[in-house]
Amino acid sequence: MGQVVQSAGKSGKSVAELAADSAPQQYLTFTLGGEMFAVAILNVKEIIEYGTVTEIPMMPGFIRGVINLRGAVVPVIDLSCRFGGKSSQVARRTCIVIVELEQDDQKHDIGVMVDAVSEVLEIPRSDIEPPPSFGAKIRTDFISGMGKVGGKFVIILDVARVLSVEEIAMLTQIGESSASEAA
Amino acid sequence: MDELTSVFIQEGREQLQAMESGLLELEQQPDNQDNINGIFRAAHTVKGASGVIECHFIEGFMHKVENVLDRLRNSDIQVSSDLTGLLLRCCDHLGRLMDVLESGAAEPEAEIKAAGDALLEELVAYTTPAAPVSGGSVVEAQADVEASGGGVVNTDSWHISVRFGPHMMRGGMDPLSFIRFLASLGEIIALETIPDAMPEAAEMDPESCYLGFEIRLQTRASKAEIEQVFDFCRDDCELRILPPNSKLSEYLKLIKELPEDDMRLGEMLLRCGALTQAELDEALSSQQRGRLPDPAGDSEAEALPIGEILVDQKVVQKEVVEAAVSKQTQVSEKKAVEARLIRVQADKLDQLIDLVGELVIAGASANLLAQRSGQSELVESTSILSRLVENIRDSALQLRMVQIGETFNRFNRVVRDASRELGKEIDLVITGAETELDKSVVEKIGDPLMHLVRNSMDHGIEKPDVREARGKSRHGRLELNAYHDSGSIVIEVVDDGGGLPREKILQKAIDKGLVQPTQQLSDQEIINLIWEPGFSTAEQVTNISGRGVGMDVVRRNIQSLRGSCEVSSTEGVGTTFTIRLPLTLAIIDGFLVGVGKSAYVIPLDMVIECIELTDMSADRDFLNLRGEVLPFVRLRDMFEIGGDRPARENIVVVQFAGQKAGIVVDQLMGEFQTVIKPLSTIFRHLRGIGGSTILGTGEVALILDVQALVQRNVRQEERDMNANNALPRSTAAN
Repeated sequence: MGQVVQSAGKSGKSVAELAADSAPQQYLTFTLGGEMFAVAILNVKEIIEYGTVTEIPMMPGFIRGVINLRGAVVPVIDLSCRFGGKSSQVARRTCIVIVELEQDDQKHDIGVMVDAVSEVLEIPRSDIEPPPSFGAKIRTDFISGMGKVGGKFVIILDVARVLSVEEIAMLTQIGESSASEAA
Repeated sequence: MDELTSVFIQEGREQLQAMESGLLELEQQPDNQDNINGIFRAAHTVKGASGVIECHFIEGFMHKVENVLDRLRNSDIQVSSDLTGLLLRCCDHLGRLMDVLESGAAEPEAEIKAAGDALLEELVAYTTPAAPVSGGSVVEAQADVEASGGGVVNTDSWHISVRFGPHMMRGGMDPLSFIRFLASLGEIIALETIPDAMPEAAEMDPESCYLGFEIRLQTRASKAEIEQVFDFCRDDCELRILPPNSKLSEYLKLIKELPEDDMRLGEMLLRCGALTQAELDEALSSQQRGRLPDPAGDSEAEALPIGEILVDQKVVQKEVVEAAVSKQTQVSEKKAVEARLIRVQADKLDQLIDLVGELVIAGASANLLAQRSGQSELVESTSILSRLVENIRDSALQLRMVQIGETFNRFNRVVRDASRELGKEIDLVITGAETELDKSVVEKIGDPLMHLVRNSMDHGIEKPDVREARGKSRHGRLELNAYHDSGSIVIEVVDDGGGLPREKILQKAIDKGLVQPTQQLSDQEIINLIWEPGFSTAEQVTNISGRGVGMDVVRRNIQSLRGSCEVSSTEGVGTTFTIRLPLTLAIIDGFLVGVGKSAYVIPLDMVIECIELTDMSADRDFLNLRGEVLPFVRLRDMFEIGGDRPARENIVVVQFAGQKAGIVVDQLMGEFQTVIKPLSTIFRHLRGIGGSTILGTGEVALILDVQALVQRNVRQEERDMNANNALPRSTAAN
């Protein structure tokens, strides 16, 4: 498993490196549980309103379900739950950010549920600090950097790791077997 | 890679397949001359086409193969298993050469080349007493004229007059390559270029071909073979072939028929060495007198095909001509069948299916809206529309259907090779080869089938001596059957071997800790143990099977196609593996049910009936269905869907793999055309859900994988039981 995560991390790094080359970088910022996060804009395909999500049974809580995106069935991840928090409540400004990832030579579309989308920001390379080794309350490998915006820190997420298809698939398996054992 | 090459590779592979199946048949019926001709034709076509695209490493190799086949055809050598084996290996090598060509390499790698040379070395043994003309290497076209002027005439060679059509080069053909290829049939003794059709330089179109050739060819090849050289440009060129020792009148007719000036043509023939000066003079003068020297060649002859003229003039025997004619019609008939087929790129077809899928979804949504509006006219028109859409769906899916025969036929070779290797005598019997199923299924079923077939040959069928001792025929029988059965296709692999040894399986399962020694298992349960991961009964790992990839992989592959597989076996009599597969992977007829707010789809062909759940057995999950015990699954509990149970619950009775079960749901919502949308790879470990679909409202509904669902329930109950049993008495009492 460690290997799998690592390889996913490597591919994530290459995306980040690619992104770093084409400076200045644009980021989409959004809020989640009152905190500000950012993802590289190149990963974002579109942003849609939170609509009808079909729940998938026997899945861990951070998988919210699937939606119909113009004929394609796309899974939706509850980000705050993925970070270990409680599941987000659907409110007026809740959105789904559709993120496109390329993993194992396959393109995956994954929806990410966020409380509200803020704006697209340009953050220069010089304003991005390395992630803290602890204290962020999020797995450090999920963070690609800390962006300084208006005197505050914005957590820039490493999308390839947060939404690693391999890892999530593994987690669903564990979730499933433990759920059936518990039952 | 240019278009011509890719066409060559595609068609070449087809010819290769024809050649291989022909060779396999040859072993069964060594005397079937038609078959030998068929093999030769296939090899020859490949060689010819490779010459046209100037792929010399294939041409050279096939030339040697063809020589052997030619000798075989002429009964100079006898069919033997060594020979067919060698030729089959040549087929394999040709396949590799095509791979090389496909990869775009100019020359095969040294390793492949060495393998080819080794094969050629072996082939030489069959060509050693080769005729001086056909045995040699490819003779370059010789332009020098040996027999100019007076007396020397080569009457024992073929005379070929060819006038290439003006569009030839635009069609991607090069006249030179035909001549080069012709040279591979034998030796070109003389060659004259006829540039008479060439217009003035100002009017000349550099893309048009104006040339014609008069060729003297010394060869052992038949007329049909020479004609075949020009197969690729037959429609676009004028071709006249005169056999060796033709009479003077023949040449005269030729001169007359050809568009060029008689005198000039006469000179050409003279230069080629076809005629002597005296003959020419005589002929031309007799022609001027208005009649030909040979009466058979006059007026009626013009209407007759050349073959008949030849017979009339006793130049060739009638049988020879008939054989050639029948061969030609065979070829043209085959062409006619091919013409009715259109090659379509698979992804275009997929796109069409996708669009039809969208159409079905959109149609369902229009239907829903129409029904809500309550306008009867609108409802009527949408229902007509949806019927049409249904028809389109069916025909679109039909496009993807292919016969399974092609997949089955591959096993002829596998069985042949493996039975040699294992020292067994095995006959393969194929039935239902014309059964159709989805192309994507056909592609993926090959590997699991291969595994089952090899298993049956290796572990199932006994050695001939053992079979005799057991009172069976020495020949083992392996059957591959395919047939349709209620919305799915069934493929069977049947052998009449020793059957699965129950004791051994059980012992092994106990050794591996798959079952407890105290456990009581039924015979069927014991047999089903072979599907468990890490189970392999072979005492020694052989080449054929038992590489540690067990039957669980076979089962997993089949399950990934939404299929199932079963095994039944009687010791001493044989084993039957039954694979059930869905007809298509794209669209199914579904039955829509609701639990709480969610909707689920059950594949309709699994649904037998729907009944109301009368609340009699509140605690036990089974009921009495007309005297049968029907266990059921409560979907609400299983999927942990919140909310209260409605006043009326329904049971959908489903059947799969000969087993019945019930699924308890809240609502029955009726039939629904279901376009299957695969779930993201994130959900690949999810059991019980087969996929998803989009409802008319735009919502996503999940498709239940009934079999996995029930199995999951069984496992879960087992686990609960074990957990309860393990608990101390006091807790269990609580």
